[in-house]
Amino acid sequence: MSALAIVTGAAGGLGRQIAARLGEAGHQLLLVDLDPRVAETARELESTGVSAGAVVADLTRDEGAAEVAAAVRDRGGSIAVLVNNAGITRDARVKNMEDADFAAVIAVNLVAAIRLTLELEPLFADGSAVVNMSSRASLGNFGQANYVTSKSGLVGFTRALALNWAPRVRVNAVAPSLVDTPMTQAMPPEVLEKLVSRIPAGRIGSPEDVAELVAFLASAEAGYITGQVVLACGGRSLAA
Amino acid sequence: MAAPLIVEQPAAELDTVTEVLTAVFAEVKAAVLAERPVVVLVEDGDLLGQGDVVDASVAAGLLGLVRAFALEGAKPGWRVNAVSHRGEDDAAASRDAAEWLAGSDLSGQLIRVGTAHLGKVWP
Repeated sequence: MSALAIVTGAAGGLGRQIAARLGEAGHQLLLVDLDPRVAETARELESTGVSAGAVVADLTRDEGAAEVAAAVRDRGGSIAVLVNNAGITRDARVKNMEDADFAAVIAVNLVAAIRLTLELEPLFADGSAVVNMSSRASLGNFGQANYVTSKSGLVGFTRALALNWAPRVRVNAVAPSLVDTPMTQAMPPEVLEKLVSRIPAGRIGSPEDVAELVAFLASAEAGYITGQVVLACGGRSLAA
Repeated sequence: MAAPLIVEQPAAELDTVTEVLTAVFAEVKAAVLAERPVVVLVEDGDLLGQGDVVDASVAAGLLGLVRAFALEGAKPGWRVNAVSHRGEDDAAASRDAAEWLAGSDLSGQLIRVGTAHLGKVWP
């Protein structure tokens, strides 16, 4: 049986692309999402010859993490890769941001990722890898105090987990900037154009750009890399 | 000058991280809207991930919070900064640094007290 890769937030967008890329790398996939359409995504990936299952789970609850662990045990109980990708946004300027919107983003983007990872701890194989999806915004972003806090928190989690679980499991984070997903496609064109103009690479990132990096960090080729945050931002984190 | 708000990194368990970070958000928001300078104190070891995963997540999250407020507050002139230190060994120096930052016009800065961070990653 091929090694199991779990991707959260995998019903669509970036998570789907990451899952597809890990499938190409030969992993058996377990897709996790609150959105029931994750089952359809798994079926689509299976039609390409990849072994893929799906779990619909609310990872903000202990029961959700336990459901994922149970699904892993059903598939042999040995995790090769976990990608903590599930996330939400509730953007607002600070003065208009409600506590509930701040809390919701922390609960999903940060706490749920920690909860799931710790729940799965006994199921990781030696030499396995965790990849946490942080963001370039972890360095600061306008109108996203909640998102910035959550993604920066994931950086701290990545470092601590890397040290705590070494040498058995490697833990890294990917920090993308603007990526071409349904969320960015919904932006007003003039706003998107302005944001893209600030990216030295001259274009928006593609889901494939990010998925390729995740697949690398999850692979044996990255075997000496742990506790790191890799910015996939086309140089945006450097530009004025 | 309005009295500064000095926030110390709160203790947290996994089940209280959301509540703890949200409480800090609310406190800092209220302070900046009242034009008070803010300094957040965090454990440097936690910023580097040299301890518990929850503490590290909270410390790094707070640093992100500081940066988000500072960036958004550039125009209205909010002053939100951070000081990291190593427990009681650096307590006096970290208090001095916090007081100095609170009285300055700087924002979005991180002062790392002590030398244990040298040779390590910049958070």
